[in-house]
Amino acid sequence: MTARRPGRWRLLDTGLRGAAENIALNRTLLEAHQEGHGPHTLRFLRFSPSALVGFHQSVCRELREDYCRSAGIEIQRRITGGGAIYFDEAQLGWELYLDKAALGSADMRAIAARICEAAAAGLRGLGVDARFRPRNDIEVDGRKISGTGGAFDGDSLLYQGTVLIDFDVERMLRVLRVPAEKLSDKAVRSARERVTSLRELLGRTPPVEEVRRCLTGAFADAFGVSFEAGGLTAHEEAKFRDVHAEIATPEWVYQHNEPGAGTPVREGVHRARGGLLRARIRLDAGGGRVTQAWITGDFFVSPARMVPDLEAALKDTPCAQVRARVEAFFADYPVQMLHLAPADFADVLDKSLAAPPGAGDLVAEAGSGG
Amino acid sequence: MGTVRGCDFPEDLYYNVENNVWARRESDGTVTVGLTAYAASLAGQIVSYTPKKVGKDVKKDKSCATVESGKWVGPAKVPVAGEVMETNGALVAKPGLINEDPYGAGWLVKIKTVDWDVDSSGLKTGADALAAFEVKMESEGFGGC
Repeated sequence: MTARRPGRWRLLDTGLRGAAENIALNRTLLEAHQEGHGPHTLRFLRFSPSALVGFHQSVCRELREDYCRSAGIEIQRRITGGGAIYFDEAQLGWELYLDKAALGSADMRAIAARICEAAAAGLRGLGVDARFRPRNDIEVDGRKISGTGGAFDGDSLLYQGTVLIDFDVERMLRVLRVPAEKLSDKAVRSARERVTSLRELLGRTPPVEEVRRCLTGAFADAFGVSFEAGGLTAHEEAKFRDVHAEIATPEWVYQHNEPGAGTPVREGVHRARGGLLRARIRLDAGGGRVTQAWITGDFFVSPARMVPDLEAALKDTPCAQVRARVEAFFADYPVQMLHLAPADFADVLDKSLAAPPGAGDLVAEAGSGG
Repeated sequence: MGTVRGCDFPEDLYYNVENNVWARRESDGTVTVGLTAYAASLAGQIVSYTPKKVGKDVKKDKSCATVESGKWVGPAKVPVAGEVMETNGALVAKPGLINEDPYGAGWLVKIKTVDWDVDSSGLKTGADALAAFEVKMESEGFGGC
């Protein structure tokens, strides 16, 4: 089914594969689509244990390579944007290969929102209250259950996400250099406040087939299409061999490496009337933009999800705009705080921005300590 | 300066409207290439920039740089073929310059063209370019910069 048929999209399940094959299929399917040789497609995929950095990321900045090697975790680079993730058999990947015409928009934020809304509806079909959280997360009660990202080439695009059917938080903390506290019970607890899984929410592990069915139905409803199961076209098969030969190489995986760059985490501490606030942030390579923020402390806020929502709102914020972003966030966020003001969050973030890089890098110790 | 739906399009530049990129021939014969204000608006805040290496030959309509915004990664395609002579070091530290000043400090690469006259004949400039961007924006349902 090479030709694109209006209203009928391909349903492609490439099963359980290693990271190099899965990423090579990303590029293969996107290029084939862009060349007009691939149909609009919903793909499901699963990974053997893998650590995947975003296209522009540096492996050594994002991953604990020694741990990955000793645990047999394959390291790869995605063709899509965003941050590093840990992926194993307990997560299901979903991907759409479409063009801008099929989505009725060329605005990348609108496209991401529309696809994420559909995926969230699919997860709600499983009985969890999944919602799209701008710009790229799907969350349940403030905790992330699906991260997403995309790539485009001309009018063709690939948008992909994960569904955490089950998730090993401790393993994630060992694989990724997240700005968590030193690997400890506290760090694990802190991570669990930000990430959840279908198993945790439902009290059972739904079969992959059930998750697939709900997502497929939701995408069909959202785009007014039906799906027909299909395999790779001959054109895609041939292209896949070439692309895989290029991607299953250190040249691809380590292309944006910054040896010795480490993981500069800046940490600020602020004592407010309502408790102690601690902010750990990471900046991009140029030092001008916050890529990740992690706020902890012994303060009280309701709802508790305000904290991960604020962290999500801070992603990709230029340093000079952090204070304004915090103020804008609180301006329309209903929250009750005990002896705590929005300015306290801005203050602790200011302190972390002013801290020297590496001062808060407790994470590096976790490789040996944990 | 021409404007279409609030987006600037300097009328002296040469545009590949489909790929949303511009080219400017400099006095020394090199050609500077960048994204249009419209492309930057569709992308949102750009957070990463990886150019092709200096010395690399890039074919017409092939990627000269990869940019990322809001977790989207995509190529910027050169409107004319040539060799990459210079990349924009300022963008490595501050990719957001592409949004702030797409026709100035936010340029992507400078190239030595193979055949400017032939390649540029397929590009649009002046009022023709403005009209073509209006058509593109209409078909893409674009509200405005």
